[in-house]
Amino acid sequence: MSIQNLNTFDPFADAIKSSEDDVQDGLVHVRIQQRSGRKTLTTVQGLSSEYDLKKIVRACKKEFACNGTVVEHPEYGEVLQLQGDQRENICQWLTKSGLVKPDQLKVHGF
Amino acid sequence: MDDDMVFDPSLKKKKKKKTGFDMDAALAEQGESASMEAPVETGDVDVPEDDNLDLDNFGKKKKKKKKTFFNLEEIENALPETPPIEEPEPQEVEDIDDLDLDIDFSKTKKKKKKKNNLDEHVVEDDVKGEDQENVEDMHGDWVGSDRDYTYDELLERVFDIMREKNPSMVAGKKQKFIMRPPQVVRIGTKKTSFANFTEICKTLHRQPKHLLDFLLAELGTSGSVDGNSQLIIKGRFQQKQIENVLRRYIKEYVTCHTCRSPDTILQKDTRLFFLQCETCGSRCSVASIKSGFQAVTGKRAAIRAKTA
Ligand SMILES: [Zn+2]
Repeated sequence: MSIQNLNTFDPFADAIKSSEDDVQDGLVHVRIQQRSGRKTLTTVQGLSSEYDLKKIVRACKKEFACNGTVVEHPEYGEVLQLQGDQRENICQWLTKSGLVKPDQLKVHGF
Repeated sequence: MDDDMVFDPSLKKKKKKKTGFDMDAALAEQGESASMEAPVETGDVDVPEDDNLDLDNFGKKKKKKKKTFFNLEEIENALPETPPIEEPEPQEVEDIDDLDLDIDFSKTKKKKKKKNNLDEHVVEDDVKGEDQENVEDMHGDWVGSDRDYTYDELLERVFDIMREKNPSMVAGKKQKFIMRPPQVVRIGTKKTSFANFTEICKTLHRQPKHLLDFLLAELGTSGSVDGNSQLIIKGRFQQKQIENVLRRYIKEYVTCHTCRSPDTILQKDTRLFFLQCETCGSRCSVASIKSGFQAVTGKRAAIRAKTA
């Protein structure tokens, strides 16, 4: 019975649609990807679209002394990319600056 | 307590014994912790490790008790001629706080022994079988005598009985969690082989596909199972890193979120996965596996050529 309830029409579907997954689970996903050799890339997905990601990336680049960019993704919205394994750094920075609460952060990777 | 006050010499002995006891406890602890960590490492999530810690303590208690007896004997032999022997030992040991409970127990025990004839008891203890030592010792202490039993004695007795009747409570759970470590080997410079991937899926009772999805999503890479049932992952990964991811997998998708039992079933129900516990019967939904955003890391030219 409860399953049927899940299937009912959601009147707010339109409102949520804009940044679906991220806002829905309310999490900021911090991931790491390997590139060639020992190089890695850190991605931050799910930051609220109310924030100016360009400003954030500028601050991060300076703070962590790494390059970075903002990528627009059709499904995941604006995603932050930083060079190297910045997972620790970005998590600390995001929580310290109050942009994200610690329990909203989900760090992936090894 | 009054009895104790009367026997001054025994008090002295007590102190010495305590230090000797601590020594052994420390040794036992070191030995155990070293030996424990090895098997648990692999697949164990934090959760079961907690369990193990508790279990360790149980084990320690037992061991300590056993050792105290040996110690008693040694010390008694040593006492007449060489009391200073214990002097250097206590320093190493006194730092250990978490053993307070055990030490308290042992104190009460020793007091009892001193009231009776020390030598007799020691001999008895040595003769007894190792496992029954504790229990029999407990009974022997106050069952025969006129005095009242103390709370500690009763508490210890009930724990001894529990342990005796359910050996699985102490050892069984732990054994379930012992898992072979993932065998991770580099293939060339760009790939990694997770050789016993299928075997680990079997020990965890999970579909290889599910674990595969999780691993690849977490590692942010691609890979597949080859003919020899080993998992080939793109990128370089060390065993420790794979182990970390496995640990997270077990925490989320294998052990029960309520009681931590690994005896669970993962069911798919209208695109959501549910973890059904066979031990406590709880059922909860688990996070779906999403690889999420994947940055472009390959050669862009090659990608462009493909799509164009
Ligand atoms: Zn359970």
